[in-house]
Amino acid sequence: MIVPAVLAVGLFAIVPLAGMLALSFSDYHLIRGTNWKYGFHNFARLISDQRLLNSIYVMAVLSIFGVAAQVVIGTAVAVGLNKIVGKWRLGRVLFLLPYAVPHVAVALIWLSLFTPTLSPINAFFNLFGITVPAFLTTQNGAMFAIVVADTWTNFPFTMLIILAALQGISTELEEAAALDGATRVNTFIFITLPLLVPALLMVTLFRFIDSLKHFPMIFVITKGGPGRSTQATNFYAYVQTFQNSNVAYGAAIAVFLFVFAAVISFYVARLNQRVSS
Amino acid sequence: MKNLLATAFIATLVVGAPCAPAIAQSDEVNVVLFGMPYTRGLQAIADDFEAESGIKANIDVIGQDVFENRITLSFTGATGDIDVVHTPVIQVQRWVAAGWLKPITEEVDAMPGKDDILAGPLDAYLINGERWALPFMAGAGLMTYRKDLLDAAGLDVPETWEEMLEVAAAIHNEDTAAIALRAVPGQGFNMFIFPMIMRAYGGKFFEDYVNGDLTPAINSPENLEALNIYIKLLNEYAPQGAGNFNFAEVNAAAQNGQIVFAVEGTGVVSQIVNPEKSKFARETGLALPPGGPAGRSPAIAVHGLGIPASAENPDAAAKFIEWAVSTETVTKISLAQPFPDFTTGTVADNADVIAKYADVHPDFLRLRVEALDLAIGHYRPLIPEWPALGAAIGENINAAVNGLMSPEDALAAAEQEMADILGS
Repeated sequence: MIVPAVLAVGLFAIVPLAGMLALSFSDYHLIRGTNWKYGFHNFARLISDQRLLNSIYVMAVLSIFGVAAQVVIGTAVAVGLNKIVGKWRLGRVLFLLPYAVPHVAVALIWLSLFTPTLSPINAFFNLFGITVPAFLTTQNGAMFAIVVADTWTNFPFTMLIILAALQGISTELEEAAALDGATRVNTFIFITLPLLVPALLMVTLFRFIDSLKHFPMIFVITKGGPGRSTQATNFYAYVQTFQNSNVAYGAAIAVFLFVFAAVISFYVARLNQRVSS
Repeated sequence: MKNLLATAFIATLVVGAPCAPAIAQSDEVNVVLFGMPYTRGLQAIADDFEAESGIKANIDVIGQDVFENRITLSFTGATGDIDVVHTPVIQVQRWVAAGWLKPITEEVDAMPGKDDILAGPLDAYLINGERWALPFMAGAGLMTYRKDLLDAAGLDVPETWEEMLEVAAAIHNEDTAAIALRAVPGQGFNMFIFPMIMRAYGGKFFEDYVNGDLTPAINSPENLEALNIYIKLLNEYAPQGAGNFNFAEVNAAAQNGQIVFAVEGTGVVSQIVNPEKSKFARETGLALPPGGPAGRSPAIAVHGLGIPASAENPDAAAKFIEWAVSTETVTKISLAQPFPDFTTGTVADNADVIAKYADVHPDFLRLRVEALDLAIGHYRPLIPEWPALGAAIGENINAAVNGLMSPEDALAAAEQEMADILGS
C-alpha cells in the first residue's frame, strides 16, 4: 500500500530536489557548460548579493501582506457564508470563481485594471475630476497591485478551509453564549475565533509557503519593475537561471528558498501542535 | 559529468513542465513556436503541409513566457521532441554557443527559394560561416502620428528626437498625451525602443562591437543625452502610468486616441493603422522613427525557424521550414493574418497582399522597406550574452524612467553589470 506513495514522493519531490541540490554546488552554465568546480561558491555569493537581499524584502512584503489579506478576507467571507441557509448556499460557488481562473489570466485582468489608460476604475473617477495614482510605476504601488491580484485569486482557498472549520463548530456553543447575554461580536471573538485557530494556522502556513513561489503575477503585471523593485526571490532565481543562463546560481537561490520555507513550516507546525494540545 | 548536470537540471524542471509532445514518427514533425500572427497563421494551415509532403506537422504555439522554459528543458536534455523551433535572432547566438541548434547551411543552400529570402534577415543567422535558421519575419520600428491633431495645431511631423520634444511640449494636453513608448524592463521591451534614441545620438553598447572590442561603453555622454530625452518624453509627455507600458498598452492607447505619437514595431503599427481595429486609423499617418545627430536607426527584430541539434527528424524539419517560408505559404498567412513583416521577397509582389496593406495604409509597405534598409543588423548586439545584458540594461533604464535612480547612476550601474556578466 505504501509503495505508490513512496514512488510518488521519490519521483515528484526527492529527484527534483536532489537535482537542484547537485546543481547548486556546481558551476553549470547553460552556455559555457562547466569547469568542474564544486563547492560552496554559489552560497558564498548569496551572502553578498544585494539583488538577493532586495528580492527577499520584496518576497517578505508580498507574502506577509498578501497572506494577511487573504486570511482576513477569506475568514470574513466564510463567517458570512456560514450564516446563509437554504438554496442561497449555492451562492458560495460564486466566491470560488476567482480561484478557478488561471493565474496568468488573473494577472492580465489586474494589469488592465492598474493601467490608467485601460482601467475602468480610472475612467470612472476621471468623470469626477479625480486622478487615481499610477500604481505600477512606484515600488510600493506595484507591490500593492501584486498583493491585490494575488489576494483576489487566493482568498477563496482560505475561505473554503475556514468555512469547513466553522461548520465543525457546534452551534450549541453559540446558543449557550447567546443565553448568557454575549453579543455576536463577543461570541465570535471569545468562542468562534479560538476554535478556528488550528484551521487559521494551517491555512496561513499553506498560503505562506505557496506565496513564496510568486511568479506569474510579477511576470505579467510588472516584469519585476519598476527597475527591479518587484523581483521576489523566486522571480530572481528565474532571472539567473533562464535569462542569465547561470543555472548553478539559480539553483542555489532555489535551495535557499526551499530551506527558508522548510524552517518556516517547521516552526508553524510546532506552533500548531502547541495550540492544539 | 556535464550530462549528469544537465540531467540534474532537467530533473528539477521536468515535474512542473507542460506536457511535451511525444517523439515524432518519421512521417511527423514537431514544431514549437510562440504566439504571433505568423505562427498562428502557420498553425492554421498545417494540413496544407501534410497534403503536400505527406508529413504531418504537429505545431504547438505557446505563450512567450513558457516558451523559454519549454525549449530549455528540451535542449538541455536533448530530448529530441522538437524538430523545428522558433528562433529569434537575438537568441540565436546564445543557442549556437550552447550547442543547441543544428547548422542548416547545406539544407538552405539546396532550397530553390533561398534567393527569395531578404539578404539582411537571412544573413542575421550566419554565424561562424554556418546558417542556423531561416527567417520568416523582420519587423522594423516606425512612428505613427495623428494627422488631424498635428494639422489642427499647425505642427509638422518631427524628424529628430529633439524636434519630438518640442512638438510634444506643444501638443500634449489632458485629453491626449503626446507620445507613448514601451518602457517596461526587458531586452525585448524597453530595449527594443531605447536604442533607437541611443543610436540616433551616437550612443553604443560596446567600444567597438564591429571589430570585436566588447568593452562596455553604455555609460557615455551620448547615451546619457538619449536617456534624458527618453525619460522626459515618458515622464512629461506620455499618458499616466507610461513607465510600465509595454507594446499592448502603447497599441491600446493609440487605437483609443489617447496619444498623438507612437514609435513601435511594424507588427504593432499595422494594428494601429488598421481601420478594423483602431478607432483613429484613418486619421493616423506613418513616418520613419525620429533621428538625431548620428542619423536615424529604426529598431529591427528578426524571427526565424531553426532545427534543434537533438531533432529526431531533421530531414522532415528542413522540408517543413522550406514550406513554411515559401512564397505560397507566406502569401497565404500574410493575407489571412495581420502579417506585413514577411522576409520572403516575392510576397511583396503579390497583388492581393499589396492591396490588403495599401488599404490598411498606403505608405505602410514602402516605409517598412525604408526602415529595414536603414536598420543596422546589430541594432541589439548579436552575442550569446545579449539576453542577460539587455535585461540588466533595461532594468536600470526603467529604474531611471520611474525615478528610482538618476540617469547617471542608471548608466553607471548598467555598465558595471555588463562588465560583470561578460566577465563572469
